[in-house]
Amino acid sequence: MASTVIEASGLVKYFGDFRAVDGIDISVPQGSVYGILGPNGAGKTTTIRMLLGIIDPDEGTRSLLGSANPRSVSDRVGYLPEERGLYPGMKACEVIAFMGALRGLDWSAGRKRGAEMMEQVGLSRVVDEKIRKMSKGMAQMVQLIGSIVHRPELIVLDEPFSGLDPVNQGRLEALIGEERARGATIVFSTHVMAHAERLCDRLAIIAGAKRRFEGTVDEARGQLPLEVRYTPGDGAARLDGLLPAEATRRGDSFRFPIEDHAVAAWLTRLVDSGHGVASLSIERPGLHDAFVHIVGSDAVRDDAAMGDAK
Amino acid sequence: MSSGLRQTFVIARRDFLSIVATPTFLLFLLAPLFMLGFGLVGGLGASALDGDGSDNIVIAVVSPADAALLHAADAQMHRDYPGKSGIYRLETVVAGANPEKQARILAKKDDKNVYSALFGTLERPVIIEQNEGGLSGRYLASLAEMAVRAKADGSMRPLVQPEYQDLGSGANVGVTRKALGFGATFIIFMLTLLTAGQTVSTLAEEKANKVIEILAAAAPLESIFAGKVVAMLGVAVLFISFWLVVGIAGSLAAVAIFADQASLAATSAAGSAGAFNLADFAPAIGFPAFLGLGVIYFLLAFLLLGSVFLGIGALASSMREIQMLSLPITIFQVAMFGLGSAAANNPGTTLATVAQIIPFSSPFAMAARGATDPAIWPHLIAIVWQGLWVALVLWLAVKLFRFGVLKSGPGWRLFRKRTR
Repeated sequence: MASTVIEASGLVKYFGDFRAVDGIDISVPQGSVYGILGPNGAGKTTTIRMLLGIIDPDEGTRSLLGSANPRSVSDRVGYLPEERGLYPGMKACEVIAFMGALRGLDWSAGRKRGAEMMEQVGLSRVVDEKIRKMSKGMAQMVQLIGSIVHRPELIVLDEPFSGLDPVNQGRLEALIGEERARGATIVFSTHVMAHAERLCDRLAIIAGAKRRFEGTVDEARGQLPLEVRYTPGDGAARLDGLLPAEATRRGDSFRFPIEDHAVAAWLTRLVDSGHGVASLSIERPGLHDAFVHIVGSDAVRDDAAMGDAK
Repeated sequence: MSSGLRQTFVIARRDFLSIVATPTFLLFLLAPLFMLGFGLVGGLGASALDGDGSDNIVIAVVSPADAALLHAADAQMHRDYPGKSGIYRLETVVAGANPEKQARILAKKDDKNVYSALFGTLERPVIIEQNEGGLSGRYLASLAEMAVRAKADGSMRPLVQPEYQDLGSGANVGVTRKALGFGATFIIFMLTLLTAGQTVSTLAEEKANKVIEILAAAAPLESIFAGKVVAMLGVAVLFISFWLVVGIAGSLAAVAIFADQASLAATSAAGSAGAFNLADFAPAIGFPAFLGLGVIYFLLAFLLLGSVFLGIGALASSMREIQMLSLPITIFQVAMFGLGSAAANNPGTTLATVAQIIPFSSPFAMAARGATDPAIWPHLIAIVWQGLWVALVLWLAVKLFRFGVLKSGPGWRLFRKRTR
């Protein structure tokens, strides 16, 4: 079994009377890309802040890179916070060098490596530009580079894709891939399922301040039954006996869930019915549907709770 | 170097460079010039007003003979007390049929600054005063006294002929040292007033730009706060060094330009008042130690007050709140200076001891102590004591920030129940 870089158990955090995180357990294997998914206000950012030692949990234990004191290993961690922020009067290369220096990298090495990484993501022309003159997306990429310029073992990115255009999202995905190939462990939070589905080895879904799911993407998708999409060849509007009661109709086609073990029997019935097939697909629902299924009504609760908390 | 110390210097370096590499810093650096300029303009205005004929006047409504005697007495007073307060300019008016009415009318004239008016005989004068019991009435009474004595003696010749002697080298050292102590207190206060208050807004940029989370994730809050204070201390030291160099260069230039005149003046002063002896003005602890301790106490005063202001400013949620804090901060600084200067003027008293113990007035009071007390050990204790308080204040500021802004940590018992 691979060793873990993050181990957290029973994390609890209150803000006043609001229970922002309620007994969350997380275990991140070394070298993996780990997603923390959840609706707005679910407690993702608070969980990340506790894991990194920015704030202390009210209950529970955490271990980062083998240390119970996350502060003691901060030089080995890179962090991109959800709320982006840079000194607007500083040049990009200086910001990157400063962020690297905070994590133990020499200033001049930080400048040099920062310039190389800026070139890598196609931003070499703005290396000596002040942050205030950059677009939001560019500044965000500068901040990301500043977060990883010291080549950390663990990279934590809080909503890294938000605010980026599709081109920069692609660049970021590539960068995550490269860091992973280098051997870094990457943890990122998001509520955009497509990124998680493409990048994550494992993920945790948080909703209502609790962890609702922990496992691989396939295991998350496995929470839902297969979905059948069927359009009869004869255009029949009624298919009594062939379709289950929960089947819905959209235009000429029908949709309904089906358990794995029932697929063979249903296909036999379809052949026997003689309605024919104009189109047929039997697929596992995507992470998006799995997420909605797992989170359920908690998504609504989270938004309402955030409103109250604010 | 430990990780926390390294991060402190990384933050200090960034802050220091971001402050000094701006045009605004030039304004800050040259601020004393503006102060001097405004002071000069104010002084010129005041002197113009002063020389605008608005002398302090006393009037005597008397006979011409008495008027002559009073003027002679007035001249004698002006000779004896040249340029001193409490001396007035005498005007006389020949008494008519109703001298009281004359005196009252003259005392009320708006175009003159008349303080008192006298009428009646010199032996039993009646004096009408603008302010009852004021000095002007006593001045007129003194003139009348001198005039009556002169009338009896036949001349205004002084009866007493004193011989004035210099108290001698070193004899007045207590007064000099107290003045030196107050001077040290005042200089340290002025420098901290100019520089330490600015720490209140140093975390505002990070909070406004949301950089605080990057810093908080990378470095302990203690390092962040210490880095901020160290950066501002660097700015303060740069500011002071700049003016020190300007002052020294200016003095050297002045000496070079006016060398001949200065040499003449020195010879003349030596001839008239005895040789100048620097030892007469030396602090009890000696000049080198006094200056060295002055620097250390300035640094500690800055760190102490700067840490307090940084901690308070870090809790503010907007620039408006920070601006509102500037008044209580200035009042606090002035109060600590007041305590320190009281200690300087009353060395060896309980008040002085209290001022030396209270951490925020301790740097001022201890700097003054160096002028009057030769003992070194109290300074060593005070330096350790103030250093401990710097650490304590920073720790407290971090705790408040962590609990109040980051909403982290258990807080104090008082709050803990209320937050669940």
